[in-house]
Amino acid sequence: MIKRGVSLYSYQQAQFFGKMTLKDMIAEVHDHLETDGIEIIMDSAVPRYPFPTEEFIFDWNNTMARYNMKAVTADVFLDVHQFRDHVMNHREAAQRLKNDIIIASKMGFENVRTLSSVPIDVIEMALDTAEKYNVRIGKEIHFPIPIKQRQKKKNKYGMSAVRDFRLVEQILQLKDKTGSPYVGLVPDFGIFQHSAPQVSVDYERRNAKYPEEVDFIVENCKNYSFDDLVDLAHEKYPDSDMTITSMERLAFHEPVSIPEDIKDIVPYIVSIHGKFYDMTEVPGQPGCYDEKSIDYEKPIKYLKECGYDGYIDSEYEGQRDQQDLDFEALPDEVTQVRRHHEMLRRLIGN
Amino acid sequence: MFDKFLIRPDSLKNDYMGGQAVGFSFSVKIADYRGCFLSLHNGYYIQCDGVEYPREVQTFEVNGKAPRTFEELKKCVWEHWDYATEAIVHVKKPGGLAPGTHTIRLQQSILMQYGYAPWDEEWVKNPPVPGSGAGSGKSSSVFSYQLELKEGGGSHD
Repeated sequence: MIKRGVSLYSYQQAQFFGKMTLKDMIAEVHDHLETDGIEIIMDSAVPRYPFPTEEFIFDWNNTMARYNMKAVTADVFLDVHQFRDHVMNHREAAQRLKNDIIIASKMGFENVRTLSSVPIDVIEMALDTAEKYNVRIGKEIHFPIPIKQRQKKKNKYGMSAVRDFRLVEQILQLKDKTGSPYVGLVPDFGIFQHSAPQVSVDYERRNAKYPEEVDFIVENCKNYSFDDLVDLAHEKYPDSDMTITSMERLAFHEPVSIPEDIKDIVPYIVSIHGKFYDMTEVPGQPGCYDEKSIDYEKPIKYLKECGYDGYIDSEYEGQRDQQDLDFEALPDEVTQVRRHHEMLRRLIGN
Repeated sequence: MFDKFLIRPDSLKNDYMGGQAVGFSFSVKIADYRGCFLSLHNGYYIQCDGVEYPREVQTFEVNGKAPRTFEELKKCVWEHWDYATEAIVHVKKPGGLAPGTHTIRLQQSILMQYGYAPWDEEWVKNPPVPGSGAGSGKSSSVFSYQLELKEGGGSHD
């Protein structure tokens, strides 16, 4: 049975404003979502990172024990400019990852999630530490990287121009080569995103120099390749200040992975990011919610068929598209995550 | 991120030294969903009432320590600015600001990114100038704030 969890990332805005502590978040997951899976962003959950105090570690483990929670995955990062006088090399990056694995282990986590952009040799160099501390390394499959490459030509513009699409292939090769059960994958539901979220479209419209450029991109993204669309937008709005990043998130019209592709990687999944932007009520079904821009139904169906029994951890991201509004108009993250779990329960059947 | 909320609205004050206003200050948080090593913090684009105040006249007060320049922060490679923790940006301006409402336009520059990028070596040699858009992390636009100056600001050396 698929298990439900929450990445505390979802409550980032409440944390920013001092409205919720880590303990409040854990209690919310236990009391209101009636589940036990906890994921963290290590760099926001651990004060004085990467040197947590013993008191913090004891207190964290105590809270997790109090509510009988499961520390599923700790998300770790790679800031290659940390040392400023040189770009961090791969050995240094591996050393940083090893340190993060040790912190994760002290906090009881089963997995660390590395970014989809972390070079494969960095993961390989950290594998001995992963084994020693019994923490698996899961590499995130994050937009625009697909599970399987179906598009032959890479874009000139945007994220897909700079990302290495051989991610799954490289992880499976590393597994084969080492035989290690300590390396795997963390798919993010963003790979099944098929349209621009309404909250993102609204944000871009409110903040664009030419709001009609936003409509132009949303309306025309199906008719052109992304590269052609960018060139067209530049032609049509030559003095616009819209970034490629904005264009890219407005131009969503097909998922980078088809849901069936997840079947091939189920044995290698360490946990899953349940990315979402806005849970809205299903028309005619009071109390039922869904995410209009991401397909959850089919991937979950295939995960069930293939016997996936790990966690899907909610990752609410729509708050950041509304932070140009007044404080009173900001979305309530707790409500959004509760709605997400209504949907997960319904689709998983628990 | 946190477009409207990077500066605490009631935090704009003049800084005094020896009874003289020597500049102004305001409280900020990080425009991200995680903290950062201080070395990654590369300063601010700050425009107050139409005047730009470059990184060289800015200092940053965090973790209970005296304000530091961004050149000093570059060397703080293991000291962390925790997420959701307030810090104070000090700006040198002899005479400080006049009482009343001020318009501050702000962009935070933090060299956080998702792993390696094509411009990495360039950023070591020539870090981006705050406000240029590059290195602005998750505050990709310059955000504008209307702030009322609070009198009775603290003094510091």
